[in-house]
Amino acid sequence: MRIPALITVLFLPLTAYAQDRAPILMDVTETHILPRFADLAESASALATTSQQDCAPASPNLRAAYGTAFDDWISASHLRFGPTEAEDRAFAMAFWPDTKGFTPKALSQLIAAEDLAVQEPEAYAETSVAGRGFFALEQMLYDPAFAEQGSSEYRCALIQAIAADIDANATAMSADWRVYAPKLTQPGENSPYRSQNEAMQELFKALSTGLEFTADTRLGRPLGTFDRPRPNRAEARRSDRSLRHVELSLIALRDLAARLSFDHPDIAADLDAGFARAIERAQSIDDPALAGVADPQSRFRIEALQQSISDIRTIASTELGQTLGISAGFNSLDGD
Amino acid sequence: MTTRRHFLAGLAAATLSPVRSWASVGAPDFLAAALFPDGSYRLAGLDAHGAILFSLPLPARGHAAAAHPFKAQAVAFARRPGTFAIVIDCASGAELAQLEAPAGRHFYGHGAFSTEGERFYATENDYEAGEGVISVWDGTSFERLGEFSSGGVGPHDMRLMPDGKTLVVANGGIETHPDTGRSKLNLPTMQPNLTYVDLSGTLLEQLELPFALHKDSIRHLAVRGDGLVGFAMQWQGSQTEYPPLLGLHRWGEQPRLLSAPEADQNTLQGYAGSIAFSADGNTIAITCPRGNALHRFNANSRAFIDAFALEDVCGLGAGRDGLVFTTGTGTFGALTGADPAISARSDCQWDNHLIPIRSLA
Repeated sequence: MRIPALITVLFLPLTAYAQDRAPILMDVTETHILPRFADLAESASALATTSQQDCAPASPNLRAAYGTAFDDWISASHLRFGPTEAEDRAFAMAFWPDTKGFTPKALSQLIAAEDLAVQEPEAYAETSVAGRGFFALEQMLYDPAFAEQGSSEYRCALIQAIAADIDANATAMSADWRVYAPKLTQPGENSPYRSQNEAMQELFKALSTGLEFTADTRLGRPLGTFDRPRPNRAEARRSDRSLRHVELSLIALRDLAARLSFDHPDIAADLDAGFARAIERAQSIDDPALAGVADPQSRFRIEALQQSISDIRTIASTELGQTLGISAGFNSLDGD
Repeated sequence: MTTRRHFLAGLAAATLSPVRSWASVGAPDFLAAALFPDGSYRLAGLDAHGAILFSLPLPARGHAAAAHPFKAQAVAFARRPGTFAIVIDCASGAELAQLEAPAGRHFYGHGAFSTEGERFYATENDYEAGEGVISVWDGTSFERLGEFSSGGVGPHDMRLMPDGKTLVVANGGIETHPDTGRSKLNLPTMQPNLTYVDLSGTLLEQLELPFALHKDSIRHLAVRGDGLVGFAMQWQGSQTEYPPLLGLHRWGEQPRLLSAPEADQNTLQGYAGSIAFSADGNTIAITCPRGNALHRFNANSRAFIDAFALEDVCGLGAGRDGLVFTTGTGTFGALTGADPAISARSDCQWDNHLIPIRSLA
């Protein structure tokens, strides 16, 4: 095969070539990525076990296990590439936003038909992706609309099936991440990343899309517009977790940002100050389901939180992006 | 009616000075949007070698533009989800008109003039319904005349077919809502399509790819003089899969999907940014800014020809001969034979698309 012509039009700073990215890639993989998926596998397994012992929707043990596992997923969900993305796993964990109400439809259909898929994990994994994962479980545990549908036996079996499916999914992700780890730490042949820079860019993308999702979707969906706020669109509002997800994602992204900017203390400090401000704002809001978007007084504070996340995005793209040779990716980051 | 319009347009072109032709602005071959070092976003006219003949300020980051078939006018779109586009007199830089999307709609960044420029069509999002529409505008006054369905969700690029009576629309299949910026809301259920509609909105033909490719978002289009349509895709599925990013379709036939050999295809990160036929129509190419690659295929035999490594390459069009491309690093180059030749380096970052002023394909 002909060797492709390499056109040297790279206007990257020389440091972008010279730096050895191996320590950062190793650090992010070993201390940021793998432990998160290991934690998730553990808490998802606990969730499945708890649901077997007690499947009553209002059970404090079951709700606590749901909360812990969901926390672990939100803290890992920005790592949405490689094994997380394979086989639609991320959607099977969290089908949100659900703009067309597919989750309640899928659950109602399963209940109405008393679908036997709940008896077999493999069969349940083949059902609609909207009826799987934490948002399906949330509706079964917290939404009064499902408290009376069908028989209590079937509802119990459905709750256990969703929990077992989350467990299987989390276990598969954790196992696959351990296999995938060397592809990130040793780019080149046998890796989707041809170079250390490409692997760094993947991690940077996880940071920037994670920030974007939290600002634009987690906060943007309920904020809607001033004239038309949408409190019913807040993420996981039924279990009062909307604001918690914003905070958890910021904490996870702060950790990733710190590791990615390790070689550049000035940038690391800027990013950390930005995260500190945003997390402080999130913690000062006492509105777990973000219902306050509809009230001009409290809305202002939620908008300020959103703005502080946008500020972090700016620092990430203008300062950190440059050091990773990403400033040149005017088109590659555009996504249009 | 049409005859009278033609007559009036011809009269205006012949006798009245306000209607200036492309020759009056140095006969640019291409339009492209860019970010300049002073932070300004501008629309530039380029000659065949990539030299900037003029550049005019845009209010925000641009996306694509549409060139009027003979007047030196361009409609420049803001990047989605923009709600306005501006009509620019490329001779004076004056803003001649603004196209404003009505309440509940935003533009996607692409549009097309009718053959004689009497109508202008734009892809839009009816975002509460999550459905795509094509809006129809008067090509002189730029009044909005109406709209019709795009035949799918998330229409992006759209081209006028060589018959002058049909629009081909790339319905990317991705639902977005301006409240949530550019976040994709329906990836698990998305279903892109390629739709042919007549100019009154009647759906003529629709093509969907097999379900296994339902996450291959059909986004950008190129049309050859004989009606062969090339479409470029962006994969929204697992990054460990490397599906085709380029397809060819002829109305009434089955689509053909084209991939490079595995080693090349695997480096593209599932993302093609632009697509174009070469000047003679025998080559079709895609640019892949995430994989920093340009791939060429034989448009007739559909065989892969070659791949080139080009940093942040995205803009692509037919040159006077072969193909030309732009990059996010400010380069303009031509690909006529076996190797690319850089003919211009500008101190700007060229944006996604290179818009030919006259159809060279």
